[in-house]
Amino acid sequence: MKFKDYYAALGVPRDADLEQIKKAYRKLARQYHPDVSKATDAEARFKDAAEAYATLKDPEKRAAYDQLGRRPAGEDFAPPPQWRDAFGAGGSEFDGVDLADLLAAMGRGRHAQGPHHGRDYETIAQISLEQAHRGASLHLQLDDGAGGRTLEVTIPPGVRDGQKLRLRGKGGKGRDGGADGDIYLHIVLAPHQVFRADRHDLYFDLALAPWEAVLGAEVEVPTLDGPVLLTVPSGTRSARKLRLRHRGLADGRGGHGNLYAVVHIDVPATLSERERELFRELARSSSFKARAAMGPGGVA
Amino acid sequence: MTETQTPWLWLDARDSVTLAELARACGMSSAELDELVDYGALAPLAPAQPEPRFSAAWVPALRSAARLRLDLELDLFTMALVLDYIGRIAALEQQIQTLRAQLPRIGPLA
Repeated sequence: MKFKDYYAALGVPRDADLEQIKKAYRKLARQYHPDVSKATDAEARFKDAAEAYATLKDPEKRAAYDQLGRRPAGEDFAPPPQWRDAFGAGGSEFDGVDLADLLAAMGRGRHAQGPHHGRDYETIAQISLEQAHRGASLHLQLDDGAGGRTLEVTIPPGVRDGQKLRLRGKGGKGRDGGADGDIYLHIVLAPHQVFRADRHDLYFDLALAPWEAVLGAEVEVPTLDGPVLLTVPSGTRSARKLRLRHRGLADGRGGHGNLYAVVHIDVPATLSERERELFRELARSSSFKARAAMGPGGVA
Repeated sequence: MTETQTPWLWLDARDSVTLAELARACGMSSAELDELVDYGALAPLAPAQPEPRFSAAWVPALRSAARLRLDLELDLFTMALVLDYIGRIAALEQQIQTLRAQLPRIGPLA
């Protein structure tokens, strides 16, 4: 069995009182609790702190832990023989048993036994927009502490970014009549080169030449189901959203979100002499005042 | 070992759960959930029903609030406040996502 330094995990001295221990734990929980922190290692950091706190806040468990003395973290050691009774291991050895499980079992021994629900698993699946649109088959790797297992799942069409799904009874096995645990799947959509998703609506940037925006045009635009023709009305301004109804993501209920082309008007970086002359002619002839709404001084 | 699956429960407004299912999902008792309803932190779909059902969208938020309650040793009333804040954060994150989607992309894809 590997030794764990619970005092070091919480950053408190070995003679710390309960208040110091609680304060140190809360500080770490505030920093690393997975429901609060977005740090990538938050879950592991919090797990270490929670494991240490679970033992050190309980006088009986703390006394048992303190019996082990000071050791380097990670050092192999054999628990005292009397721990067998507390753990309920009978004559068996402690091989493969985690120190935290052992101390937790000591605590459970004081309480009435009853049905234990199986462990719930929370896992994240990052999928593409195309997979969200059409559905996808994935292999979920579940760390069940016994070498892991793989669950083949089919993600239904219609999931969106941040979607949460539950798979009943596929988590850890229940004990003593308790139900099997569930799997909670969090869907994250990978960034797409063209589209940005908002629920089941999709947005993309549509560049137009100045004359296309002024005169109108028919332009080919991408959708998740292949390119389509979009009619750009004459007089289309920058930032206008042109809607393609029901061309967004499948919503899983037989419908689709919308697809929006967000217009921005681009200009040529270099001009031929002829193009330059035409623009000059336009500037001379046009009565259009782009900043008319801002007032005579150019200020609103 | 490879297994095959059972149907998904969509944890949003399209599916609903009973009080007992909600209690099981967040590791709380039905009485505690009733208290959250009394505080106005949790609302059934049709309050007058003898067997109240709840939007399945409550499940992730309640699981998160229940974990914080357990891990930080919070009382139930504080958990009700946490649940409210979780809902507000989710709504604000959704608004940010909406605005980001509508704004033209600046620079290359991260």
